[in-house]
Amino acid sequence: MTADHVSKWYGQVIGLNDVTVNVPPGITGLLGPNGAGKSTFMKLITGQLKPSKGTVTVLGEPIWGNPKLFFRIGFCPEQDSFYERMTGMEWVTALVRLNGFSDAEARAAAERALTTVDLMDAAKKRIGAYSKGMRQRVKLAQALVHDPEVLILDEPLTGMDPIGRRKTMRMIRDWAKQGKSILVSSHILHEIELMTTNILLINNGRILAEGNVHQIRDLIDTHPHTVYIRAENPRGLAREFLTRADVISMRFEPGAVVVETGKPDEFYARLTELVAEGSCGSVSEVTSPDDNLQAVFKYLVKS
Amino acid sequence: MSPIHDQSYRHYEGERRPLGRAWTVIAATGMRSLLARKWFLAVLLLAWIMFIVRTVHIYVVTMYPTANQMLPIDARMFMQFVEQQSMFVFFVTVFCGAGLIANDRRANALQIYLSKPLLRMEYIGGKLAILVSFLLFVTLVPALLLLMLQVMFAGNLDFIKANLYVIPAIVLACLMRVTVASCAMLALSSLSKSTRYVAILYTGIIFFTEAMFGVLAVVTGSTRVAWVSISANLENITDVLFRQPHRYDAPVTVSILVLLGLLAVSISVLERRVRGVEIVS
Repeated sequence: MTADHVSKWYGQVIGLNDVTVNVPPGITGLLGPNGAGKSTFMKLITGQLKPSKGTVTVLGEPIWGNPKLFFRIGFCPEQDSFYERMTGMEWVTALVRLNGFSDAEARAAAERALTTVDLMDAAKKRIGAYSKGMRQRVKLAQALVHDPEVLILDEPLTGMDPIGRRKTMRMIRDWAKQGKSILVSSHILHEIELMTTNILLINNGRILAEGNVHQIRDLIDTHPHTVYIRAENPRGLAREFLTRADVISMRFEPGAVVVETGKPDEFYARLTELVAEGSCGSVSEVTSPDDNLQAVFKYLVKS
Repeated sequence: MSPIHDQSYRHYEGERRPLGRAWTVIAATGMRSLLARKWFLAVLLLAWIMFIVRTVHIYVVTMYPTANQMLPIDARMFMQFVEQQSMFVFFVTVFCGAGLIANDRRANALQIYLSKPLLRMEYIGGKLAILVSFLLFVTLVPALLLLMLQVMFAGNLDFIKANLYVIPAIVLACLMRVTVASCAMLALSSLSKSTRYVAILYTGIIFFTEAMFGVLAVVTGSTRVAWVSISANLENITDVLFRQPHRYDAPVTVSILVLLGLLAVSISVLERRVRGVEIVS
């Protein structure tokens, strides 16, 4: 999947801004906070939106106005898109018939897909009675049912319980092993990391970074890192940190000190020493707000 | 053979219909879904009551030719039948058409449909096929059947030979009603997610234009303003097709242009509204 100088405007609002990116085979995670342009990118990649500028190519062919490519693509949208009075089996069967399957073949394919997503037991229940996780899985089944080469999954893990998430992530990894190319979006870095190391970071309609997640993290580590320390004696800790060159700034919060450091590895080592020495009392909590994706974006946007 | 079965995904290796035929899936699924509703079947059956009445009429006149003076079998009779069926065209259009696109929009199904090998034209064509089929079933089918029954009861082709224009007149009058009703309803259905709202809107448009014509006719003292009413335009053109005296003073060309304009607006609305992704500027 390739986007070449792709922009998309919605009237005065820009959804995607001059994006040039190449999505390689395998699993690629599309990461970005809400409103970053992930869904716009997904809709452009699936040919549901026409780019205002530039071209989107999937499997070597332009996707816009090329519905025969849809035989080779499976799309799982973020929103619920089904008739709640239909059963899962009826819904998946009806949709796969749009791919040119006969009634009998469609039924067999739907059974296979529902079995794959572990939903065969509930296949004859109405979708209206499905839990959020089951709805996500039935959407995955319709994306998979016609055996596409490319799977585009928009926030497929939203609303799933932890076991469901784990199963779905394993399923996605299995599909990739079978040779499918998968683009999966999420706003949770951790989820994507469990599926792939190849990511695309998007924010404000622009691609911020692409490639191996470790390389991107290394890049992030050159930026100031924030550490929140809840301690018995935060002022004593702050006095110790003041002597260190890597500490850029500090501020106090009730019962805690928040430190900004340029060398997180050295800082954590020193903090461990201080706690071991016990000279500044006990430390009850050490967290880094930087571990969330929003902070990663903040750093990348600042750079 | 291994006693442990392979549980992994098996790839589909069968035949696939080529691109361009998915509209048949949309049409067949829609028809099946409507025919499964008892109330809709009741409406369809009710629509054939006038056919039974007219069949008796034709039979009586054929058996007792003296009755022909009171209840003549002529082009006018067939025109009246087509116009009487307009009431059922209205009911079938409202019951069957209001939800055709509105329900898909409510369920966000368009996004999924249009991510499949289904062209927007095919989607609209499939939906149109549903409405057109049911409307032809209550207009063209009974009208042509009535003509065939006349030939059967009479045992000769004298009526057809003397009124050859009746066949194209029936076909065109029915197709015109069906096309206008189907396109207008489908366009309205694409505007909302509420079936009820669409049904009210369609009913409102039909009755409002009719009422407006009534008021304007009283104010101006002339029927030259008949073009404001959709029903009057259909009747105006039907008069010409069946070679009957004109009921309205409005020129037929104006009626044709108004109906063509309505079709153009409907197609334009469908083109804008039937999209996988709704864009809110």
